[in-house]
Amino acid sequence: MADNLYSTFLLATKNVFELMLDLADITDKPVDDINTEGMYDISIGVTGDLQGEVIYCFPYDTSINIVKIMSGMEIDTVDDFVVSAVSEIANIISGNVLTMLSEENIKCDILPPMPYDRKKDSECKEYSIHTASIIKTAAGHIYLEVRLNPAK
Amino acid sequence: MLWKEKYELGVEQVDNQHRELFRRVDTFLHTLRSSTSWDERVRKVNETLDFMNGYVIEHFRDEEEYQKKIGYPRYEEHKKIHADMLNYVVHVTKEYKDKGYNEQLIQQFAGRLLAWLINHVAAEDQLIGVYAKEKGVGTNG
Repeated sequence: MADNLYSTFLLATKNVFELMLDLADITDKPVDDINTEGMYDISIGVTGDLQGEVIYCFPYDTSINIVKIMSGMEIDTVDDFVVSAVSEIANIISGNVLTMLSEENIKCDILPPMPYDRKKDSECKEYSIHTASIIKTAAGHIYLEVRLNPAK
Repeated sequence: MLWKEKYELGVEQVDNQHRELFRRVDTFLHTLRSSTSWDERVRKVNETLDFMNGYVIEHFRDEEEYQKKIGYPRYEEHKKIHADMLNYVVHVTKEYKDKGYNEQLIQQFAGRLLAWLINHVAAEDQLIGVYAKEKGVGTNG
């Protein structure tokens, strides 16, 4: 199940990056730890057959490059405009994952993107599906962390 | 410019409206993101926002009419996507005005609109063009 979800998230990320940003050369590998220095973390809550959250970690440089590609404008800081644009991308990727999962009869919904503060996350919940990966593109890398449990 | 040739559906009327919609969003973004003070930008931002919102409504309506005309099977689903976005646009625009033209709110709106529009036209709308070509219907709009 974890492998399947990992592949699904990866495929959706590749599809969205290629379609929206013309970034075709994308590689990935699992990671044990995420260095969150200089990153903006976005959490998308998941409800339904799977419950938990997916966290997208966008380094500032990657966020700026992504929004530059989309807007064709000069962007030099991660401000409300940039955060909102990359949050919507996280939302779109997650939505595409749900569509793929529904074809396998796994029914889930997602919650709106929210800023995620790793320092405040002291709950340390247990997840039966817990994967973390780094996705590298010409615009920079992002981290993707999936934390889900099947609904009881 | 935001527009790319790959966004074309091969349906003349829809493509023309998409080009115009992208042009208006582009103007809105350039006005919003210019380096002058907010007080100097706000009047122009409000003008382009109203102008763009009006065009979003007109385009969604026309595109839905076209889908209906050609018997597009995903019409209801597509209409709901439009309705959800339109509700967001109307809600944020109202909140922005109610809060006395809050810049943070409109910057957030612009970021989401940019990503949403590109994805919607590059992904969901392309399916309309594929269907129209497969069925050989109404590519002149």
